[in-house]
Amino acid sequence: MAGMSLREVYKTYDDVVAVDRVSLEVEDGEFVALVGPSGCGKTTTLNLVAGLIELTDGDILLGDRAINDLDPKDRDLAMVFQNYALYPNKNVFDNLAFPLKMRGMKKGEIDARVRKTADILSIGPLLDRKPRQLSGGQQQRVALGRALVRNPKAFLMDEPLSNLDAKLRVQMRAELKRFHQELRATVLYVTHDQMEAVTMADKIAVMSGGVLQQYGTPDEIYERPVNTFVAGFIGSPAMNLTRAAYVAADGGGFVRGSEGWEHPLSAVNAERAGRSSGEVVVGIRHSQVRIYREARPGTVAAQVYTVEPTGDLTYVHFRLGGQLLVASEDADFRAAPDDPIWVEFDQDHLHLFDATTEQALFRIGAAAANGTERAREGA
Amino acid sequence: MPASAASVAPPRALAPARARPRTKRRRFQVTPLGLLGWLFLAFLLLFTVVPMAWMVSTSLKSEFAAIQQPPVWIPSEPSLDQYTRLLSPAGETGRQFLTYLRNSVWVSLATTVIGLVVAVPAAYAFSRFTFPGRDMLFFSVLVRNMFPAVVFLIPLFILMRRMNLYGSQWSLILTYLTFGLPLSIWLLKGFYDNIPPELERAARIDGATRFQAFRLIVLPLSAPGLVATAIYAFIQGWNEYVYARTFITDESKMTMPVGLEKFFTEYASNWPGLMAASFIMSVPVVVLFLLLQRYFVQALTEGAVKH
Repeated sequence: MAGMSLREVYKTYDDVVAVDRVSLEVEDGEFVALVGPSGCGKTTTLNLVAGLIELTDGDILLGDRAINDLDPKDRDLAMVFQNYALYPNKNVFDNLAFPLKMRGMKKGEIDARVRKTADILSIGPLLDRKPRQLSGGQQQRVALGRALVRNPKAFLMDEPLSNLDAKLRVQMRAELKRFHQELRATVLYVTHDQMEAVTMADKIAVMSGGVLQQYGTPDEIYERPVNTFVAGFIGSPAMNLTRAAYVAADGGGFVRGSEGWEHPLSAVNAERAGRSSGEVVVGIRHSQVRIYREARPGTVAAQVYTVEPTGDLTYVHFRLGGQLLVASEDADFRAAPDDPIWVEFDQDHLHLFDATTEQALFRIGAAAANGTERAREGA
Repeated sequence: MPASAASVAPPRALAPARARPRTKRRRFQVTPLGLLGWLFLAFLLLFTVVPMAWMVSTSLKSEFAAIQQPPVWIPSEPSLDQYTRLLSPAGETGRQFLTYLRNSVWVSLATTVIGLVVAVPAAYAFSRFTFPGRDMLFFSVLVRNMFPAVVFLIPLFILMRRMNLYGSQWSLILTYLTFGLPLSIWLLKGFYDNIPPELERAARIDGATRFQAFRLIVLPLSAPGLVATAIYAFIQGWNEYVYARTFITDESKMTMPVGLEKFFTEYASNWPGLMAASFIMSVPVVVLFLLLQRYFVQALTEGAVKH
């Protein structure tokens, strides 16, 4: 296993910039998720690392060796594809044996390694089957096995779980995580599903429009998103984001929506908002919104839009001014549409962004967490 | 229905899964339209089988019986004399016929092999790579097929003479390639299009060079396409008459379709001989097709339908 560094990785197709100067370090044994909406350049980045497409500019290092100019076969990486890419005319054994054969390994050793890998993945009884005779989950394991079988320096995974049904996906997610923890393998994992990224990865790289928006641990990214894109992308349901004007006042100040609603700001938050151009985007996660049945100081009047009980907790969608926001409440919370409610945003978990630059306005001293700063400079 | 679906699901082998419900549905239905269909098929079968049957029947008759009026379907004294005469190198006729046969095999095989050697990489490139003028080139490859072959007879004749190939079998091989390649490339490209590029990517990451990925992964998967293309090219060369008649004058270089015609004029009265020769000529085509028809149909549909 080895660490991996991407330095100013740049890729253009004709005039279109697909990957725009992406730099990130993957430590040896780390599981890094590249996440973003479709077309954000994450798969292109992965293919650049794999060597399946050529870099326009920049460097990719595996360990301390630059692999930019190497053929895919010489990079010593393994890849798991979204559609598994199992060789349909070979049986499971030969699928697993192929990477070993290509490296000129002796027959006896190939046999031993394939069987060992098959045991680990509990696909031993399937070795004689053809891929089309396997279920989706079994195909997934074989694809994983083909990557595991030859101890590569790092694993590349391109949405490996997205072809599975929901239940199996959750199960395989846990298995993949377990594998990673047992093998301490370096993994670069592409997904559009932020849930997969958050649950499995040591670090998450959020990409949008070919640009790396933020790189950090799941906690960092969840707690301190550097801009409105990251804030809205990570977390489910998505963070509530609403535009408001900052109005200074004694002992803090408040934000005022265009429809006239006003929410007070604590002194610390007022200082943050004061650094904006005057317009801010207020971000608040559903779990940090408190709902009251009657007016109180420091709350804002809103109307219930709809209530979604999920069993564990109940999501309350409500209208604030012209916008729909969401809060989570106890499981037994019930309300009728258009019921009046009063909401309060938790001042300690309030996210503030400059409305013009869409960059986060961090608390002084709290912002400078490692990856966060770097990504901000990049963006 | 749920029971049959469940029983079909585990093996997931496509052919039986598809075939089973279909036969079940059709077996007991006799609709007027279906009956019409059967009648049409029967007519079609008659249309194709009768000449073949007549050919075989005549080839087994004596020369006199062959022109007998009214015609007899089943020869009263069937004999294989014509066949032994044609295939024995001892006699003049046999020697001639075997020469034609050899020439035909050589020209058709050369066309097939060279055609595949060119069409495989060409189709692969059209399918996998983007390069300037790709689409234009691809469609220009098909332009040839918009004109009847005879249109090119004189231009190609002039061309072959200029290249000093007139009278050589290479003129035929080149001509057949001209006609066969566009369809071969088109057919094979459809095939490569249906092989997911991830397979090659996986192979390359697994340690194969680009060429190895092609040879070890893509080529075996496109075997049905190769077979279909080969059959097509072979049959084209095997059956072609007009160019063979025009470009070759030396009797020792003639292919069978032309040879047959010569044979016919020389032995105008020998219908059984002509029919026996025709039958021998049709055997390789029919055998090839029977052996490989599964691949052929698969290739045509695979190329056409996206999965």
